Amino acid sequence: MEEEEEGGGEEQQQFSYRQRLKAAVHYTVGCLCEEVASDRGMPFSKPAIAAVSELTFRQCETFAKDLEMFARHAKRSTINTEDVKLLARRSNSLLKYITEKTEELAQFNTEQKAKKKQKLEEDNTRAVVPAEAAAARKDGP
Amino acid sequence: MAEAMAESYNRDSEPTTRTLLRRVLDTADTLTPRRRRSARVRRLSSPTKMNVRRRSHRARSIGRLAHVHTSGNLEEQTPRTLLKNILLTAPESSVMMPESVVKPVPTPQVVQSSRRESSRGSLELQLPELEPPTTLALGLLAPGRRKQRQRLSVFQQGMDQGLPLSQEPRGNGSASSLTSSLNLTFATPLQPQSAQRPGLARRPPTRRAVDVGAFLQDLRDTSLALASPGDSLRTPVATLPTDTVLEDTQPFSQPLIGRSPSVYHSLPCLSHTEAEDAKRAVSHRTQSSGPRLQNHNPGKPTQLLAGKAKKVDALAVSFPNNSSAVSGEDGVEPLQDGVGEEAEERMEESLSVSKVVATTGTQGSVRMEKSKGHREMTEAAEAKEPEGSSGASLELASSTTEFLQARRPQFLEPAPPPSAAVLSSEPLEPLSTRLPPRARTPGPRPRQDPHKTGLSHYVKLFSFYAKMPMEKAALEMVEKCLDKYFQHLCDDLEVFAAHAGRKTVRPEDLELLMRRQGLVNDQVSLHVLVERHLPLEYRQLLIPCAFSGNSVFPAQ
Repeated sequence: MEEEEEGGGEEQQQFSYRQRLKAAVHYTVGCLCEEVASDRGMPFSKPAIAAVSELTFRQCETFAKDLEMFARHAKRSTINTEDVKLLARRSNSLLKYITEKTEELAQFNTEQKAKKKQKLEEDNTRAVVPAEAAAARKDGP
Repeated sequence: MAEAMAESYNRDSEPTTRTLLRRVLDTADTLTPRRRRSARVRRLSSPTKMNVRRRSHRARSIGRLAHVHTSGNLEEQTPRTLLKNILLTAPESSVMMPESVVKPVPTPQVVQSSRRESSRGSLELQLPELEPPTTLALGLLAPGRRKQRQRLSVFQQGMDQGLPLSQEPRGNGSASSLTSSLNLTFATPLQPQSAQRPGLARRPPTRRAVDVGAFLQDLRDTSLALASPGDSLRTPVATLPTDTVLEDTQPFSQPLIGRSPSVYHSLPCLSHTEAEDAKRAVSHRTQSSGPRLQNHNPGKPTQLLAGKAKKVDALAVSFPNNSSAVSGEDGVEPLQDGVGEEAEERMEESLSVSKVVATTGTQGSVRMEKSKGHREMTEAAEAKEPEGSSGASLELASSTTEFLQARRPQFLEPAPPPSAAVLSSEPLEPLSTRLPPRARTPGPRPRQDPHKTGLSHYVKLFSFYAKMPMEKAALEMVEKCLDKYFQHLCDDLEVFAAHAGRKTVRPEDLELLMRRQGLVNDQVSLHVLVERHLPLEYRQLLIPCAFSGNSVFPAQ
């Protein structure tokens, strides 16, 4: 009985969680549609926005499953950008966009890494110089 | 003296066994110890014997058995007496000399009776007497056989001439069978062969072509040599009883009908029963075309024979059919030659008697179709084909295809529309698929693209499962879709393999693909689908199974 309640509670929790997620998606889709409507000059009806948000939610589920499959196929436990690229290969424009973004990200990461290295080196040198100075002073007098 | 001279004269002119034996008996000196006794006995019995013999010759048919008994009542049974009994009871009538027997019989009796006293069974001469009688007895048997054979031939000729059955054969089984069989069917070239060898009558006739042809030739020669009424009797009769021959006499025709080769004679059987006049009209046509066909098919025999041993039976059955159809022609047609010829002749017949065949309905058309397909196969199998026959055959092909298509639309329904994928091999009906590719005239190839030729098979499957007639444009669209689909499929597989860092596509990639397609999900795994749809051989390759010796195949 408790388990069932717990199970039922869990389910309810899960369901409520889903609903919240759906609401969030719906809100985001609504914002985007308003933006497109203002750009194109054609308003969106409420049911249309609702349909789009529902579709988005389901597609997100599919994407997630596929990404998990791809990662498992590549014998990894973490989803990678490669998996995402594989997912997006169908539409050329999307694929192109994603690849560009990834490249940018990669560049950025490398740049950041380089900066970090420089900082570290500078810190090291600074630390070394006072140490040497301290050592030299001790040796002097 | 005069009688003796007459007797000697008779003996010299008519060397029958009887006369020979009499001569031996008369000339031989009997030297037996029982001479006197036997002489007395013989003297006593001789007059009775003489009387008996006279009576016997006058009324031989009735008292034959009586003679044997009376003579057998002699106290002493010497070889001489036995031989004399044999002479008494032997058939006296012969084809050669029916009248002459009577004469020498009474005259020597007197002489014998006079001489018997002098010539009685002597020991010395008993042996030589025994030997010649035995040899003469053997000689008696031989001419008997010869007589029977002569009688058979004469009898057959008599039968052909329409003479009534004579009382000739006494215990002649072959002749009786011949008569009975000939009563059934008037003049059949097949029956005499079986009559000559009654033991082989019921076996499937393994005939050699030359024998039958030569026999028919001889038969026709003899028939032509006969009087005109007999000849006129034969020709219309010859066409008639072939169907009776086919129906009644061949015990193995029924099981052969089920097989496609025997179709040849089943079709003409039907056509004959329905239209004899049309057949006669056709026979004139075949006569004209026959020699042409004959000349054009020298190379066929061995090829055809190699593949079709069963056809010999069907052809043996239909051979009289064929021969009667081309009665005016040179009848010597080798069986080997007859296969293609017959098929073509059947085609001609079918064309001419199309109305007749229409009544047969689907059956006939099926047979024609099959035979036509067979004929086309044989045509294809031939290495070279002269123009005349090929032209004729092509004409036949085109005409018969039209005919067939008109007859059997439902038969071609599952097959694809005419223009699509001519050379594809459909697993539906092997014969029907053989027909459309051959029937279509060899025009330009529809698809030069090697990539798309493989898809035609799937297009056909598509049209089959659609169960509806499809437009050509629709089928082309289907082909394009299939092309795109398979390309996409293969691209995905390649990408998946690369994603996993491999260069070879493995079953895991396919499982991923099917998962993406939605065929495989959490409820239904790949193994489940394999079990459902694939045959056992493939299942064994895919699903790991434990075998004996702690081995698992395929290895994981």
